Amino acid sequence: MNQKAFPATGFFFLSAMLVSLLLFFPTAAFAVQSQPVVQTPWWVWEIALFVFCFFLGIVAVIGGVGGGVLFVPIVSSFFPFHIDFVRGAGLLVALSGALSAGSPLLKKGLANLKLALSMALIASISSIGGAMVGLALPENVVQLSLGATILGISLIMLLSSNSAYPEIAEPDTLSKILHIYGIYYDEQLKKDVSWQIHRTPIGLLLFIVIGFMAGMFGLGAGWANVPVFNLVLGVPLRVSVATSIFVLSVNDTAAAWVYLHKGAVLPLIAVPSIAGMMLGTKIGARLLTKVHTRVVRRLVIALLAAAGMRALLKGFGI
Amino acid sequence: MKEQLHANKVQLTYATVLSWTSSLGMIFIVAGYLVYVFQLLPSAVSPAEIATQWHLRASEFHKVVPVPSGWDWVSQLGRGDVLSYASIVYLSSVTMICLAVIIPLFFKEKDHIYTIIAALQVLVLVFAATGIISGGH
Repeated sequence: MNQKAFPATGFFFLSAMLVSLLLFFPTAAFAVQSQPVVQTPWWVWEIALFVFCFFLGIVAVIGGVGGGVLFVPIVSSFFPFHIDFVRGAGLLVALSGALSAGSPLLKKGLANLKLALSMALIASISSIGGAMVGLALPENVVQLSLGATILGISLIMLLSSNSAYPEIAEPDTLSKILHIYGIYYDEQLKKDVSWQIHRTPIGLLLFIVIGFMAGMFGLGAGWANVPVFNLVLGVPLRVSVATSIFVLSVNDTAAAWVYLHKGAVLPLIAVPSIAGMMLGTKIGARLLTKVHTRVVRRLVIALLAAAGMRALLKGFGI
Repeated sequence: MKEQLHANKVQLTYATVLSWTSSLGMIFIVAGYLVYVFQLLPSAVSPAEIATQWHLRASEFHKVVPVPSGWDWVSQLGRGDVLSYASIVYLSSVTMICLAVIIPLFFKEKDHIYTIIAALQVLVLVFAATGIISGGH
């Protein structure tokens, strides 16, 4: 692999700087949520948000996470927007990314429509519930639970080890009834790989929880979808990642409508975020072969942990 | 291509509709945003006014700033702020459009389980979009 020192060093400093800012700067230095911020012209915030999301998109794709999970905790820490609008924008950032990536993955047969539809139906209902609860809770409770969730996600990312090709001895009855199985062409193995799943009822229960959390915090839920598909249901890793994107597009659509009706979506915040993140993701994908992805992934985990800590502190009013 | 052999007709149709509708969505949101921030059409609220209040909770924000939410904008499509908001509403409808397209295909293939699942999924999303449960406008 072509590993270049410069981009890796750049990412290290960028992420290290963000971690330091998240941990050591007082909340009031960035997001003054109880007082209006009128001294900075609106267009400065717009440009700053676009540029910030552009770099977040690069870091996210190299770190192997969806942009949504980084967006909410970090943007709510650095920008003067209320967390309601940040969560609304976060859902749309995750939704846009999923919609853009979905088509080629479905065409290649990597994303599986039947697997996705079976899980998305139940998860989308719970994501509506999550969005309603999230928008009704007091701000400090949202910050506290967001902080705990983000810390949990960073722990999952640190500890989980995926299985590229899980072995399933016998598919369960429900997956047989739902005809959930498939075959895809694996570019690494240069051959067709067939797969089936087990523990479908447990998977469905876990997707209820995932949908709820995605709706509540405005996070894309790839961090949870992939381990459940891969480690619980036994779906090959590539199919898990691709199908997760499809599930995300359905869940986030359901939750996004709740945010739209509750007035928690401002185009002024959502559009620069989507545009910056999409552009950053494209650049990040090109840089993938040029940087130490493992190093960047660890920095992303550190970044998430710092953002989680910061949200917790804000929740405690510190 | 070898990979395409493993995607069935329903999946390929979904992918094609998704590709077109989502690309259109991206164009809409950027165009709508530019029309709004450059004030190419009149708006009820300027970006500068929004920026003075975006630190407020969504529920409090809407008491002082008359920006569109839910479906209350439909009769005012000539406004810049409404156009930008409408583009986001469209983006949030893309999944529904794609799912609605594949229901008849599942039905044609006599795949009754997935005809029902896809129809129920569309119903859930339409239910969310109407704003009945979230107390929308």
